[in-house]
Amino acid sequence: MAKQILKRVLGLVLILLVLSFMVFGIMYLAPGDPAEKRLTSQGVVVTKEILQAERERLGLLRPFIVRYADWLKNVLRGDFGISFKDDLPVAPKLIKGLKNTIWLALSSLFLALIISFPLGLLSAVKKGKLVDHIARLFSFIGNSLPNFLISVLLMYLFCIQIKVFPVIADGSVKGLMLPALSLAIPMAGRFTRQIRSELIDQLGEEYVVGMKLRRVKGRFILINNVLRNSLGHILTIIGLQIGTLMGGSVVIESIFRWPGIGKLVMDSITARDYPVIMGFVLIMGTIYVVINLIVDIIYRLLDPRSF
Amino acid sequence: MKKKFLAALLAATMTLSMAACGSGAQTQKAETETTTETQATETSENQTADESQSTATGEKILHTAASFAYPSLDVHKEYYGWYTSIYGVSEALFKLDETMSAVPCLAKDAVADGSTWTITLNDGVHFSNGNPLTADMVIKNLQRLATENSRFAYLGDFEMTATDDKTIVIDTKEVYPTLKNDLASPECGMIDLDATTDFDNSPVCTGPFVVTEFVPEGDVTVAKNENYWGGDVKLDGAVFYYMQEDDPKLLAMQSGEIDCYNSVSSAALEVYNQSPDLYDVVSIPGARLQFYILNENTLDDAVREAINLTVDKDKIAEYLSGTVSAAVGPFSPSAAYGKVTVPAVDTAKAKEILEADGYTLGADGIYEKDGQKLSISIAYYAARSLDTLAILIQEQLKAIGIDSTLRVEEDPDATYIANADFDLALYCMIADKSGDPLYFIDSTLADGSYYNVGGFKSAECQSMIEELRTETDTAKRADLANKIVQIAIDDNAFGYVGLFNNTTVLRKGVSGFAEYVPFDFYGVDAETDING
Repeated sequence: MAKQILKRVLGLVLILLVLSFMVFGIMYLAPGDPAEKRLTSQGVVVTKEILQAERERLGLLRPFIVRYADWLKNVLRGDFGISFKDDLPVAPKLIKGLKNTIWLALSSLFLALIISFPLGLLSAVKKGKLVDHIARLFSFIGNSLPNFLISVLLMYLFCIQIKVFPVIADGSVKGLMLPALSLAIPMAGRFTRQIRSELIDQLGEEYVVGMKLRRVKGRFILINNVLRNSLGHILTIIGLQIGTLMGGSVVIESIFRWPGIGKLVMDSITARDYPVIMGFVLIMGTIYVVINLIVDIIYRLLDPRSF
Repeated sequence: MKKKFLAALLAATMTLSMAACGSGAQTQKAETETTTETQATETSENQTADESQSTATGEKILHTAASFAYPSLDVHKEYYGWYTSIYGVSEALFKLDETMSAVPCLAKDAVADGSTWTITLNDGVHFSNGNPLTADMVIKNLQRLATENSRFAYLGDFEMTATDDKTIVIDTKEVYPTLKNDLASPECGMIDLDATTDFDNSPVCTGPFVVTEFVPEGDVTVAKNENYWGGDVKLDGAVFYYMQEDDPKLLAMQSGEIDCYNSVSSAALEVYNQSPDLYDVVSIPGARLQFYILNENTLDDAVREAINLTVDKDKIAEYLSGTVSAAVGPFSPSAAYGKVTVPAVDTAKAKEILEADGYTLGADGIYEKDGQKLSISIAYYAARSLDTLAILIQEQLKAIGIDSTLRVEEDPDATYIANADFDLALYCMIADKSGDPLYFIDSTLADGSYYNVGGFKSAECQSMIEELRTETDTAKRADLANKIVQIAIDDNAFGYVGLFNNTTVLRKGVSGFAEYVPFDFYGVDAETDING
């Protein structure tokens, strides 16, 4: 196990190195000038001389490889650089955004699980019955509705009609509820479908048929065998979803004024704020690899045969 | 039995979720209390308190939404001064009024004599801490602005002296007729440089409001400056919520959480216009211009003229549902330098011109000449409704027999503006940043200017631009500007399509939120009020 983890960590370093070089290269080749974006952000144009001086100040006139090497050297020293947009350090921005995104991601994931797990279970056990149709309808609707529509509908319902939440959300628990629910609904739709499908597969396995023939109680089979055997698959789905959620949700964060990393990165892309984008890429690369590693470890603990 | 089990399972998960949700939430609250977001939390939580307090004590607190938020309140840096001006915290020596004229504010007068400007400060101007604004402090501010903001670095070349406490003499070395207008820019706001210890979070300025709470890139709360030099301030305070999206702003207006905001979307406008008993909507042409450049190097005179006779700005403005006003020239028609004329839309004449130039209408309804279809490339970028504009122009041109291909770029400056590889290029910029026409004319019409990429060249025009650079008489400047722009219009070098409207929605009883000023950088002031 330790050997496996060490191997993954070494792989992570290589992945991050390749990833950072590729992203740095893509940004270098892509059209767009951080200096121009910064100076003309309000629609006021500036002279060529002012623009050139700003490019010089931001170090944009240096060769690509020198810029990348400098950036890498600083990152290895723990310095993610200064934002091209406002000259503020990148690391605190990313930490602040990530912290908010983690809260939103975990809350929405939790909500999605408590909706989808019972629904998927019921739907699988009651396959073809009314409850199955309802669960599938929810799954279909949840999957089909775009995030922004769910957000606005929820806002209208809870803020204007029922008036239990304010439109102007803040960093409090109350402010977290609607954005978390907006993210959770489509996620729950997907989870319900996947859990249902996995459980139906398991329920049709020969071991279940055999146990039923041996008159083992259905509840016992469901809890001790079917659910247990399905956990690995479900865990993989959750792991992948966490990775996606950590990238932030620009739409939800913008609508609910949630200062997460998704909005930060989208604003940074618009402003061609390369140091922030590079920091984000490194963090997200690490998160993806680490989450996959954790999922693998748990998966193997649940099913020692996979060692 | 199975049913009972499933019901119990469902109930258990729900109970667990509630419990866990609560604890997670508490954890989060505890966490955020140590961060900046706490301030946001407190601000919003305070809002409820503010509202109840306003009811209890009769305090007038205005709640509004701001589409942008910045990490600092340093008036001189970047465009942060635009926002300190909107918040009513900072003021410049002059301000721009409804007619786009620079009128007195902290200074009462600015008189030019050749390259020497004499600026006299208003009587009794002082900062919120009571310290008077002196001529020395003005000079220090302008010098700081020159070092902190590259757009104002030229101020560093001027020689400034204080002849007494209220008089500043600025030697611009060469005749510089727009200094008064430049000094009306919000970046020229005055800070008490001696008393301010934290420029990013609490600058000491002269405005009718003082910052009480500032969340970097978040909400801002201001309170009445009890010591305001300009007299009584009607509001007790204001809260600016950072809200980028249109729908939440509309819902916040409907729920009563905000009292007014500007940059109203066309969809929201429809809603507000249906409730005139609840809301006032004020819409005036602003300073942000949508225009196109016609490439004289690739399009002959007849085609350019036909295009300009075909593009129907009124229909485009109508399609954009009140967010844009059809433009005549680049400047607001209410400005003295916005008096130009354009021929009326006349598609029959456009066709005649093309036919007189040798074009014949093909079987597919597209003109052709020498076996070549008349097809132009339209370059645009997807912002400021330019994507919609491109499609509408394409449709209008096709209706008279001019085919076109659309080409979208993410960064116009680095692509089609830099390379001039277009027939018609759409662009949007602020045409009037400080109540004077030189900036736009210099950027788009002068020889070799960055946005004069379509081959427009006129010796007469250039000569008048040189004259405009040194002319100090406002009326003569307006006259020159009108003549210069008219030459460009007559040459069919450009098409000025629309001026973005400054559209403000106010709850009934709210007034004075700069709703009649065409510039983006004004908001609350001493006259902003809530009645009823």
